[in-house]
Amino acid sequence: MTASQTRARTDRGGARQTSTWTSAGGGRPPATGRVLTYALLVALSILVLAPVVWAALSSFKTQTELAQRPPALLPHSLSTANYSGALQSFHFTTYLKNSVLVTVGATVLTLAINTMAAYGLAKYNFRGRNFLFLVTLGTIMIPLQIILIPVYQVAASLHLVNSLWGLIIPPAATPTGVFLLRQYMLGLPDDLIEAARIDGAGEFRIFLRVIVPLCGAPIAVLTIFSVIWRWNDFLWPLIISQDQDKYTLPVALAQFNSELVVPFNYILAMSVVSMLPVVIIFLVLQRHIVRGIANTGLR
Amino acid sequence: MNQRVAPYLFVLPNMLIFGVFIIYPALNNFNISLYDSTNGRTFRYVGGANYQELVDNADFWSAARATVVFVVCFVVLVTVASIGLAVLLDQRIRGRGVFRAIFFLPVLLSPVVVGLVWGWIFDRNNGLANTVLRGIGLGQPGWLVDGTLATVVVIFVGVWTHVGFYTMIMLAGLQGIDPTYHEAAMIDGASRWQRFRSVTLPLLRPTTMVVVILSMITGFQAFDFIWTLTGGGPVGATTLIVQYIYMHAFQSPIRYGLASAGSVILFCTIFGLTAINFLYNRRRSAA
Repeated sequence: MTASQTRARTDRGGARQTSTWTSAGGGRPPATGRVLTYALLVALSILVLAPVVWAALSSFKTQTELAQRPPALLPHSLSTANYSGALQSFHFTTYLKNSVLVTVGATVLTLAINTMAAYGLAKYNFRGRNFLFLVTLGTIMIPLQIILIPVYQVAASLHLVNSLWGLIIPPAATPTGVFLLRQYMLGLPDDLIEAARIDGAGEFRIFLRVIVPLCGAPIAVLTIFSVIWRWNDFLWPLIISQDQDKYTLPVALAQFNSELVVPFNYILAMSVVSMLPVVIIFLVLQRHIVRGIANTGLR
Repeated sequence: MNQRVAPYLFVLPNMLIFGVFIIYPALNNFNISLYDSTNGRTFRYVGGANYQELVDNADFWSAARATVVFVVCFVVLVTVASIGLAVLLDQRIRGRGVFRAIFFLPVLLSPVVVGLVWGWIFDRNNGLANTVLRGIGLGQPGWLVDGTLATVVVIFVGVWTHVGFYTMIMLAGLQGIDPTYHEAAMIDGASRWQRFRSVTLPLLRPTTMVVVILSMITGFQAFDFIWTLTGGGPVGATTLIVQYIYMHAFQSPIRYGLASAGSVILFCTIFGLTAINFLYNRRRSAA
């Protein structure tokens, strides 16, 4: 029990640790309650994991196995025929490549412009600063869904339709990222910047050499977020990538799923490919993600 | 770089994108909603005719109704379930970190894939859901063929996807409650349920309000997982307002102005409800 108790305490973060801490539920539940709690948690976990596991297992099945009634739990063999088939015969390599390019490109751009904007807002006094911060917060209130038409028109007039730049540039300015980084930078001492100025360092050099290295934690959180956002994006790529060779993986999956041209065993295999990076990132970096969300209340 | 110019240069790239791709389109949306266009190039001023057409349009009302049903069920279920899950996960039990991770996982999955996989599971003849139901002798309901059942499935998948996120927020809220309140209640001999009712719930109120607002905004934006789950069908039963807007803007016959008018209404709804929720809760906490 000691191991999990220490874990429980470190989970809560440093500030609020007390030895007498009891959880809101009143500490350890009584024995019957504990059994009930476990039963409920396990049942719900199965409900959450079942579709993911079922999809992963079935992605190794042949078309005949998928049509079988009742379906077998395990595939006949762990053949990767569905994966290679989808990649070879339906251009999924192109969609995969587009998704990777957009995810990497947009994340790099997001990190660059969001840290810069956050630094400007956090560490300078300038006319219009509060207004710009308010604008940043305000844009959280304006999701893509409600500006679909006008923003498409802007993209069209800038020739961003059917171009991967159209998927990289517009989503790169994230209010969440600016907010997250600004809050973190506010906590960095101004003396650091002053000292660097006295040493004769230029403003951009101070930002790059003094501030950015200190922002490892929020930059890591934003990187994870941005990769997941861009990898999963759907509505924006759906309207921007109209030509098939510009499809990202989610757009290709959605279009082919409704058209019934691509066999479902291929769709399933590519769905698993689409889930894989996110699941891996999550398994490795779970703690950072949860902390990032707890800190900002945003995703 | 000059210290006076520097901040402007730092914020410039980000603010430029905000301006061009969010602020300007947001303002222009009202403008476009006053025009009619069937090709996106030529616009004819029609004043409030688009709004009038929406009000007279049965499909719009169907989408509006479906959206309200979805949002109300989604917000209620997600709020209740996330409080319940957070309370379960806040106990000192073994493997709590693992459970938390599991519940959070769907939040990160591609909504397109989530809809696709659930659509396959709820397939009438060959889906996993009906295989299980047949096994225990419950027949095979046409989940995605019947309008009401499809709505239930859409709500279920929405909750399945998002509940982990709100549970994290609730958990943070629970852990912010000073344990001395619980200790005092325990000394007074309050039962676990009584403590939940009269200590946890009231003190969780601000967090609950955050969850209600956030889930409401998320609910009104629902689109991507439904697109691959039901495609908005059967016969428009699960076509929500965002899909209505998308279809009128990007599928023929294109009606830009009409779609814009729809998104202006969506914007006002989200904004209005958030404001009401916020004011109501501020009044209550002041009283």
